[in-house]
Amino acid sequence: MLANSAELFKFTRLTLIWLTLIFGSVWGACFIVGVLLPTLLLRACDNEIFALLAQICQYLTPLIAILVFIPINAMFMVLVERRGLALFTVRMGPNRVGPDGLLQTAADAVKLLFKEDIIPTGADAWLFTLAPIIFFAPSIFGSIPLLAAITGNNDLFAITNLPTGIFFIIAASSVPVVGIVMGGWASNNKYSLVGGLRSAAQAISYEIPLVLSLVTICYLNQSLNVVEIASRQTGGFLNWNIFGGGALNGLDKYLNALINGSSNANDILQAYYPSNQWILTVIAIAGLVVSTIIAFFMYITAACAEVNRIPFDLPEAESELVSGYNTEYSGIKFAIFFLAEFTNLFIVSSIATIMFLGAGNNPIPQFLIDYLFKNVTFIPQTINAITQALSPLINQIHLINPITFWSVVWMIVKTYSLVFFAVLVRGTLPRFKIDQLMDFGWKRLIPLSLLVFFIVIFAKGVINTNV
Amino acid sequence: MSQTDTNKPNETKEMELGKFGKFLKDNGIDSTRKDDSINVETIVISVKDLEPALRLLKTSSETKLNMLLTISGVDYTDRIDSIYHLWSYDHNDALVIKVELPKQSQANTDTVNLTSIANFWSAANWHERETYDLVGIRYLRHPYLRRILNPWDWEGHPLRRDYKQLVDALNDKNPHSFR
Amino acid sequence: MSTNLETTNLKTDEMIINMGPQHPATHGVLRLILKLDGEIVRHVEPVIGHLHRAQEWQGQNRTLFQYQALIDRVDYLSGMFTSLAFAHACEQIDGCQIPPRAQYLRALVCEMNRISSHLLWLGTFLIDLGALFGFPFYPFREREKLLDLFEEIAGQRMMFNYIRIGGVQRDPKPSWFEKVRKFTAEFPDRIDEYEAIVTQNPIVLKRTKGVGILDKSVAMDYGVTGPSIRGSGINYDLRKTRPYGIYPELNFEIPLGQNQGDTWDRYMCRILEMRQSNNLINQCLDKMPEGEISGKKQIAGLRIKAGEGFSAIESPRGVLGCYVISNGSDKAYRIRWRNPSFCNLAVLPSLLIGRPISDIMAIFGSIDVILPDVDR
Repeated sequence: MLANSAELFKFTRLTLIWLTLIFGSVWGACFIVGVLLPTLLLRACDNEIFALLAQICQYLTPLIAILVFIPINAMFMVLVERRGLALFTVRMGPNRVGPDGLLQTAADAVKLLFKEDIIPTGADAWLFTLAPIIFFAPSIFGSIPLLAAITGNNDLFAITNLPTGIFFIIAASSVPVVGIVMGGWASNNKYSLVGGLRSAAQAISYEIPLVLSLVTICYLNQSLNVVEIASRQTGGFLNWNIFGGGALNGLDKYLNALINGSSNANDILQAYYPSNQWILTVIAIAGLVVSTIIAFFMYITAACAEVNRIPFDLPEAESELVSGYNTEYSGIKFAIFFLAEFTNLFIVSSIATIMFLGAGNNPIPQFLIDYLFKNVTFIPQTINAITQALSPLINQIHLINPITFWSVVWMIVKTYSLVFFAVLVRGTLPRFKIDQLMDFGWKRLIPLSLLVFFIVIFAKGVINTNV
Repeated sequence: MSQTDTNKPNETKEMELGKFGKFLKDNGIDSTRKDDSINVETIVISVKDLEPALRLLKTSSETKLNMLLTISGVDYTDRIDSIYHLWSYDHNDALVIKVELPKQSQANTDTVNLTSIANFWSAANWHERETYDLVGIRYLRHPYLRRILNPWDWEGHPLRRDYKQLVDALNDKNPHSFR
Repeated sequence: MSTNLETTNLKTDEMIINMGPQHPATHGVLRLILKLDGEIVRHVEPVIGHLHRAQEWQGQNRTLFQYQALIDRVDYLSGMFTSLAFAHACEQIDGCQIPPRAQYLRALVCEMNRISSHLLWLGTFLIDLGALFGFPFYPFREREKLLDLFEEIAGQRMMFNYIRIGGVQRDPKPSWFEKVRKFTAEFPDRIDEYEAIVTQNPIVLKRTKGVGILDKSVAMDYGVTGPSIRGSGINYDLRKTRPYGIYPELNFEIPLGQNQGDTWDRYMCRILEMRQSNNLINQCLDKMPEGEISGKKQIAGLRIKAGEGFSAIESPRGVLGCYVISNGSDKAYRIRWRNPSFCNLAVLPSLLIGRPISDIMAIFGSIDVILPDVDR
């Protein structure tokens, strides 16, 4: 059945190694800048300037984290894409550089950095140089508000906890298209020009369903703050926004009460879902669940179009436009385009995780955990033992913050699953035509997203999601 | 190996008209029959009869030779033949039409002239361009008679028997070789 | 729900784009000079000849025996067919007898080659549609097996030089036939696999249905042959209409397009043809007689009788013809190729005009043109 299970094993191993590498180095950088340096500074001398420096160091931590994270992550994602596609298409994929092809993309990055940087004849040199920067910059400042949600609102990253986080992210994510159009126009190449213009048309039409599906979730949670939206989804997958954005909260609490044998289980159910109008309640719950699931897939679709992934990769349609807007780019500028493309994919996936899939929260429902703890005694014992062993690390040197750790682990699992899903889609679907793309965007997705939005508004009026 | 052996194939004697030859004769077009080319009727017609004959053979419901396989040019040193292979999508008969273009009668032997049939038979378009390119038959009234396989600035027609290859810089037997 | 892109009254400048000769999707070195109005193609001029190797000139300057080794290069994806067309023409002029085992071997390797050629077409066609890294590689997996089989009998994977004037080059071992049987046994499942992933794919359907409709009369006027014209519903396959070799003894069907001759029909025709070819291979294996494999001595000074003749066979791309004029020496006086790709490509401009850029690749991919075959 699994003819290429050896390849699959190699792929998993490679993923684990790279993930350790990425998050180890990000954690290391954060620890040095955010904990070690301030502590040392404060110990060295206790005056105001040093205290200020220590604070600046702490404030810089999110930026350092992102700057360390983005290049390594892009390398990893390119490798995952190439090896993953190789898995789907019965090939081997890159497996020569480093042990088992582990360093292929690192070598590629080095190669790209040392390549000649060509500005074609007749190109507008200023815009040509500016385009990759404009394309890349939003992926840095757009991802900053996400940090607070990813790290479980760690103190070091509390500065990134914007009250209007999702608004900021959406605003940032609509900037890159300017870079693409600019690059396409400045290249003095007709393929690039067509690619850039296609990209503009595509970004404009797909931003609407993207934003509308996010607005639906913001409305359900009555917040624009990603940290708050994340914290509302704690306690198992029933509370995730993809399943009604809190519509199943009552069910979760009821099951919890049942397992724990508390007597007020029926009261909870009554409080959430009043039985005097149960038909309406059931319809509303079903409507909410269905429309949030639709909103999730709409978001994924529109996000694919936003980051120019197959089947919406028309701006860089290889068989038509050679490589679209980045045809003329080489060397470091091309590397930046490449970097930004994959970073955007990661950002889009992490937004999906935060908004729909419970952010860094445990997917296992609380009642299941309680049940397990009650009946299988060695689990809590083991956990206690580990916690005891690690407590000096946690309490004294602040090496690991357990909340942040688990939050990041779940984020990694969920986000990279979505990334892998995007790779899978790339391995199976051909490309749309531009007119079909526009058709799909304007005639299908936008009406559907409006419909979903209205259903959510009415359904939320019926049931009480915030008891 | 610039010049090949120029032993021409033996000239063929004339034969009695076949099915298509008779059909053409009924419609007022004279033709002479040559040796069959592997059991396929082969006729020779004159330059001025070419266009009406092909138009007739293509459209007539009696013949329906509506598939033009290829137009080939053959240089027999003293004359150039333009050869039309006609098949049909509907039946299994076939016909080979040859038009002989003696070089003496032409004002300029670089090109010999013939009427184009590309105006009513699209398949002929590229075949005529190719034959012009390689053999040097100029098809008059062709919509777009340019070289098709060779570069536009190529000199001469490579499949002519008297074609002299330009100095071949890569052939080391050539005294002018750069090697 | 197709949007009519032509109804806009906006006045715009036309843009000339040079597509190729270096372009990822022009299958080699075709150059299309496109005049675009926005994304709509207004005028197309194919420029060919970048791969011109003067095969006809070489044919009259090399001995027949030498030239046999060259002609696989005319169409590198179906070398067996080009060899067969040439050998067929020479044999008919010469009148020599081909032993039945050689006949069967020819049909066997030709059908195998047809499958391998169609498989490569399937992969590149899907790449043209934009499935850049996806299923193109599944067809290549099966093609690899076929090429290995070819390597075992001919010594080469693509430039076989296997079919010679008078017969074939060498007799395969019995174990080779077993390998072929193993391949044919599992191949129908593989086709089901491709069909499952492609034929049901809604995006593929959207990209191919109703795109690039090749009208019957236009196709006949341009002399289009092969699966391209069978997709338009014209039942023209030389294996049936003018049977050559041992095809009269074999039992098979000619798949035809069901709609009006669009890209989808041509795709379906080729898929069904692969199934038929698989069937034919099995029949050849079952009926394979014992005996000689060549009716003519394979020597360097190989000669054929004087005379002229045109012979055509059904290659994966259409009617592949070879016109040989021999003067009785060891060189041919004139060799003329009738290449299906050359004739099919001529119809391309009439299919492209008025279509958006994205359709160029779908249409061009679906008529299955091999550029070495065009340029010779």
